[in-house]
Amino acid sequence: MSYYGTNDFSYNSDFNLRIRDIKKGNLDFGWLDDARETVEVRRRDPRRGLTIEDCEVGPYAIENTPEVIRENRGLAPRGAILDAATVQPDLGPSLNKKSDVWGYRVQRYWEEAMSRQWNVSTDVPWHDMDKHNIPDDLEIAFCQLCTLLSEVEMIATDLPAKWSHHMNSYFQEVKGFIATQAIDEARHAEVFRKRALAGAGLFRASVRGEHALKGILEADSYSEGSVFLHVLGEGFILTLFRSSEFISPTPVEQRMFQLVMQDEARHVSYGLQHLKYLMDNCPEVRPQINGFLDEAERHLTGLFNPDQLESMIVLGGKGTKPDQIKKGIEVVGAFQGKQIEEYFHRAERAGLPERRERSPLLELQQRMIAAAMS
Amino acid sequence: MAIKFPSIDFFRELARRMADNAAEFEKLGFCDTVMGVKVDGDSAHLYALTFDVFDCTDVRELASPDDVELDFTLEAPLALWREMFESIKKTGTPEPAYTLNSLSHVGDRMKVVYDDPEGHDKFYRFMATLQAFVDQTSDFDIEWA
Ligand SMILES: [Fe+2]
Ligand SMILES: [Fe+2]
Repeated sequence: MSYYGTNDFSYNSDFNLRIRDIKKGNLDFGWLDDARETVEVRRRDPRRGLTIEDCEVGPYAIENTPEVIRENRGLAPRGAILDAATVQPDLGPSLNKKSDVWGYRVQRYWEEAMSRQWNVSTDVPWHDMDKHNIPDDLEIAFCQLCTLLSEVEMIATDLPAKWSHHMNSYFQEVKGFIATQAIDEARHAEVFRKRALAGAGLFRASVRGEHALKGILEADSYSEGSVFLHVLGEGFILTLFRSSEFISPTPVEQRMFQLVMQDEARHVSYGLQHLKYLMDNCPEVRPQINGFLDEAERHLTGLFNPDQLESMIVLGGKGTKPDQIKKGIEVVGAFQGKQIEEYFHRAERAGLPERRERSPLLELQQRMIAAAMS
Repeated sequence: MAIKFPSIDFFRELARRMADNAAEFEKLGFCDTVMGVKVDGDSAHLYALTFDVFDCTDVRELASPDDVELDFTLEAPLALWREMFESIKKTGTPEPAYTLNSLSHVGDRMKVVYDDPEGHDKFYRFMATLQAFVDQTSDFDIEWA
């Protein structure tokens, strides 16, 4: 036990006397006197049920909440009455400014996430695995890829989980959305583990990849962690999933990637909208974010580790013969170029067009183009 | 009865089937996007399909891409659309090279045109729904234009 409260309620005589009184039927109904503004919560579209956006009304709405939250350091939900007479415990949230965490349209991403959940055990056609005979080299290459992806998904689960309790409880929509992300990522780690174990098993863990992933987890601020994970990392992973659907050995893996791709794209969208909100409302952090990305992009090249690259080449070319490897190199080269290009485009849209000029990924891109032309 | 492709009736029939297959699409979740479909050929055709919650609520042919705010547009020559629908017809789902994702990713045979990356990402956020939507053509008797 590391937290000892400022009040021991089991021995507090005033409190005990009051409880005894209430049990005798002497209620004072003080809590009924608190005047509340009447708000109208309306289901704008009955097909969606009652949405988070429907509940953005009056004093409960985020748009009617100040940019910096000063009054609440506990767990009060936005719009609740804070008792001025008693001292709220300070749970120490460090993210008390809306631009620290907010993203445009986050309410919609939360609803979308809840509506588009799926189940690894039952939504992937595992029973079809027996219908297909996958050559050993392809199966092992696929399981090597699943091993790296399991590592990536672990960090993607841990990052939102790590930051949630640092967020002021008034930012419930962001906390809710990143909670859906944590469960999405846990599901992704589950699907890659299950697929590997249902096949050839797990192969080499990636030391280089893990260094890159550590950089995400150790970011100094939530925004840095978010731009690294959501925009840079998951943007790259989204493109990787798109390629993986194509190079999937059977329709089982194809379905798997189709489902993980959808979740990943939603995480990227939130990251993009957070970065955009940050740049619009707190442009003074721009040099700091750029400095962070200079290093984050270097880290990210760690995900292009030799084991992963080789396994993707084998999957892309559908084998290990020289002509298949040549084909595989072409397939992988094309998608890597796309990863970098799409990232620059997203950064530009979020308000960081300078990434295209200063990014260390440029050199990598140039080297890839040179290799493709040689 | 044969349905002509490309035509407004083709997409209206898909929208109607989507409503009939409500359970499948509700399981996949909310889908909110306005998607463009461009068929290049002797005379190009551009359609806007509006997906809202679980349905395709509006299908229209556009004279210009500026007529409607499209999140993204899938552009391909008629021959490629034909290959895709014929692949779907074989088993009810396309071969790996003919999914919407693969066609628009590998070799860029199908172009994804977009202005805002958020609109572009919607293509991937709703991929399972959009793929299931086009897979409904598996028993269509298509008359090619
Ligand atoms: Fe993931
Ligand atoms: Fe993700």
